[in-house]
Amino acid sequence: MSSVLEYLLHILILIVIYIILAQSLNLVAGYSGMISLAHAAFYGIGAYTTALLSVNFNFPFVATLPIAMVLSGILAFIVSVIALRTVDDYFIIITLGIQVVIFSLMNNWMTLTRGPLGIPGIPPISLFGFEINDKIPFLILCIILAGIVYYLLKNITSSPFGRVLKALSEDEIFTQSLGKNVYQAKIISFTLGAMFASISGVLYAHYISYIDPTSFTIDESIFILSIVIIGGMRNLWGSAVAAAFLIILPELLRFLGMPNNIAANMRQIIYGAILIFAMFKYSKGFVAERTNSA
Amino acid sequence: MLSLIQLILNIIAFLSIIIIISYSFTLIYYTTKFFHLAHAAIIVFGAYFTYLFSQQMQIGLWFAIPLAIILATVMGALIEIVLYNPLRKRGAIPLVFLITSLGLYIILQNIISLLWGDDTKSIRTGPVEIGNEFLGAYITDIQIITIGVSIVLFVATLLFIKYTAVGKNMRAVSSNAELSNIFGINSDAVILWSFAVGSALAAIAGILVAFDTDMTPTMGFNLLLYGVVAMIIGGVGSITGLIGGAFLLATAQHLGAYYIDSKWMDAIAYIILILFLIWKPLGFSGRRLKKVEI
Repeated sequence: MSSVLEYLLHILILIVIYIILAQSLNLVAGYSGMISLAHAAFYGIGAYTTALLSVNFNFPFVATLPIAMVLSGILAFIVSVIALRTVDDYFIIITLGIQVVIFSLMNNWMTLTRGPLGIPGIPPISLFGFEINDKIPFLILCIILAGIVYYLLKNITSSPFGRVLKALSEDEIFTQSLGKNVYQAKIISFTLGAMFASISGVLYAHYISYIDPTSFTIDESIFILSIVIIGGMRNLWGSAVAAAFLIILPELLRFLGMPNNIAANMRQIIYGAILIFAMFKYSKGFVAERTNSA
Repeated sequence: MLSLIQLILNIIAFLSIIIIISYSFTLIYYTTKFFHLAHAAIIVFGAYFTYLFSQQMQIGLWFAIPLAIILATVMGALIEIVLYNPLRKRGAIPLVFLITSLGLYIILQNIISLLWGDDTKSIRTGPVEIGNEFLGAYITDIQIITIGVSIVLFVATLLFIKYTAVGKNMRAVSSNAELSNIFGINSDAVILWSFAVGSALAAIAGILVAFDTDMTPTMGFNLLLYGVVAMIIGGVGSITGLIGGAFLLATAQHLGAYYIDSKWMDAIAYIILILFLIWKPLGFSGRRLKKVEI
């Protein structure tokens, strides 16, 4: 296979992984109004779970994926029970704290995660006896999983439960007065979001075959949140387009002749700037442009 | 082996830094009621401007430090004028400010990386020394200066808030911005003042930290978050609470570092924050955190 095609496939796989991340965060941040900066932590939990289980115990992919999702879900449940005692900006600060705590567990719990050394030699995914070594079948697997996640998210958000989420993100007290259990709905939404995020982590770990904590930092969380905000709150396809754009952007800059390290910084400067512009657009709140405030 | 006195000295030196940072952040939070996370970049810019003037341009430290503080102050004020003020005019909610400041932080931090590189830079003039002996423990000159500067700045800003016209206006704007406008206080000017004073304090803190432990472009975020944690556990807006919060944070972190390992310091800070938000959500001072408003 030519190296150009390899490179294009690599970019495509990364895009699909980030689409899952961004769409799952869109459920939490967009539809339910909980801006979370802990998403990279759940992404990391997915990656670490599958890495540890498959390297140490030779667990197959079909087992590690559900285990990773359940673990991430349990943790997200605990986290949300704590974090949802606060709202808005305090919620962001507390999710930021949880992100830092989980990152420092990955980085410092040497006996389990080997800390900054990371976990090398994660085997490729094998499904029904076939080992997925090539990029093309791996991409297809990613797309299938992303499709399933999209389908589920689409159904969740247009279900009665989804309407409760939208309602509570616009007016929590009012939703409560209609007899809806706001607290429970938020916890379910947060937990589901984290479970979907761990799918990305599992794919990423098997794809790169080596993980270390630096892939799951607070910067990563901010990046995922930026994708959601730039793509548009409550807009799943928008998240997909924004993910593609932000992944391709540094490659484009590199293509234009910018050195590697400068391109990485420029990407962040550009998405920081887009984030600020988006905030001017959303300045009245994320749902204000849809409602005609009297 | 660390002696008890050494531990206490370390705690006091660290506490002094946290208090300056927390206080500088609180000043801004006090009048604007949002989390200005780009403040972290101002801390770092203070240090890097000092590096620029003293090391790269070879200006003496006595000129370099004031110049750096002034530049950082101008920067903080500019951020308010160019970014936050227009957003306020649009009636933005605190959440929007927070995300804007996050975007701005990303931009500024990457600008620092582009300008000065990601490696550690030093503004220390002499070699690393053990320091002065004090009751069998050691304290470096810079730690003594830090403690002194912290006390002086703290008292000075406290007097500034309590007795000057600008300080009184700050308190007025803090308790009710609209009402103080009616009484002829220009709330925009007052907020600009709080950004200027807060940024100056942050730059000083950054310079002190850089003298003690050198600088990297990303050092500001953790420092700021310690300050934010101290502010929240102290009870937002309370000055004595802030000292208590900083004290609790510094003590817990150093005891943790002493008994477990210094690499867990970040995690400890957030675990304290999370515990506080569960059991004592109002902080030391008992003032109410923001809850859902009807």
